[in-house]
Amino acid sequence: MASIIPRRALAARSAAAALIPRASLVPALAAQPHRDSSSLSTQRSTSVVRREVPLPSQQKPEGVVDYALTTLDAIANWARQGSLWPMTFGLACCAVEMMHLSTPRYDQDRLGIIFRASPRQSDVMIVAGTLTNKMAPALRQVYDQMSEPRWVISMGSCANGGGYYHYSYSVTRGCDRIVPVDIYVPGCPPTAEALMYGILQLQKKMRNTKITRMWYRK
Amino acid sequence: MSWVTRTIRNVWKLGIRDSVYQLATLGDTKVGVLVGVDSYGNKYYQNYDEELPLRNRWVIYKNFYGDAGEIEPGWHSWMSYATDNVPNSSVIPNTGYHKWGKNIGYNPTQTRGAYRPYNTVRPKIAAWEPKVAERA
Repeated sequence: MASIIPRRALAARSAAAALIPRASLVPALAAQPHRDSSSLSTQRSTSVVRREVPLPSQQKPEGVVDYALTTLDAIANWARQGSLWPMTFGLACCAVEMMHLSTPRYDQDRLGIIFRASPRQSDVMIVAGTLTNKMAPALRQVYDQMSEPRWVISMGSCANGGGYYHYSYSVTRGCDRIVPVDIYVPGCPPTAEALMYGILQLQKKMRNTKITRMWYRK
Repeated sequence: MSWVTRTIRNVWKLGIRDSVYQLATLGDTKVGVLVGVDSYGNKYYQNYDEELPLRNRWVIYKNFYGDAGEIEPGWHSWMSYATDNVPNSSVIPNTGYHKWGKNIGYNPTQTRGAYRPYNTVRPKIAAWEPKVAERA
């Protein structure tokens, strides 16, 4: 019986049981009738041996193919860093600081950043401001309309975790509950310099992205 | 078209190697006086005669991908035009003078030292452990 169950169903069951269709959930439960509580307790206890795995950024290339693909990745990442077109999701006062980023003093154009009004033309979404529950579906829809590869910068404490409005009845406690976030920029609101620093950190993240190397590993 | 003659003049003064490096990092060629070097190895320059206002102080980072988090506190105030005095003089204290004015080092994002949020509050949801009551 257990061999019929797809492994994905077993792995996903612990993470989010509600997302699994009922049909796959029932045999999964039947396969492990009494091990649920014990497996949970071993996960929580500190007796689990910690295994140190090198971070993706710490791995060195091995072999000719790896070096060649590293070069290809470097070229692709360089191109991605150089034309970062943000989808501006200005929601509150953070949006004013985001506008300052585009003014001559901070001059985002020198990094190749051009604000786009359409999600289909943009690479990165800057969530600037308080995300309310009412706006959350729209944010998700805009994110879904963006084409891959896409990144999200969460700007300001409201977008990071609700911030000042964390205990409000109508505010989403962080936009990372709606979309996956790459860079969190702290501040209330963050200065335009801080947002620029966050963009530089995102560029750093892009530099370390292994596009073709991950494809080759598969 | 003054930027053409300016760039040619600066490349002539800097040399090919430094010009290419500056174009890759700053995106511009700049010639100035070396004002000082901080503990990271970043070099600070100024040129009040030829550069525009608010562009007449700049830093060449030690690393190619250097960022503004690697500037020392005293040099940061100098870079931000908060003061005309160079740090480590008696007027402008540098690292360690104030409690908050310390070198934070390189940004540990995407390394082992990166900040990871943690929770110290007791979990609100307790797992249900089924216990069957004994039956007579």
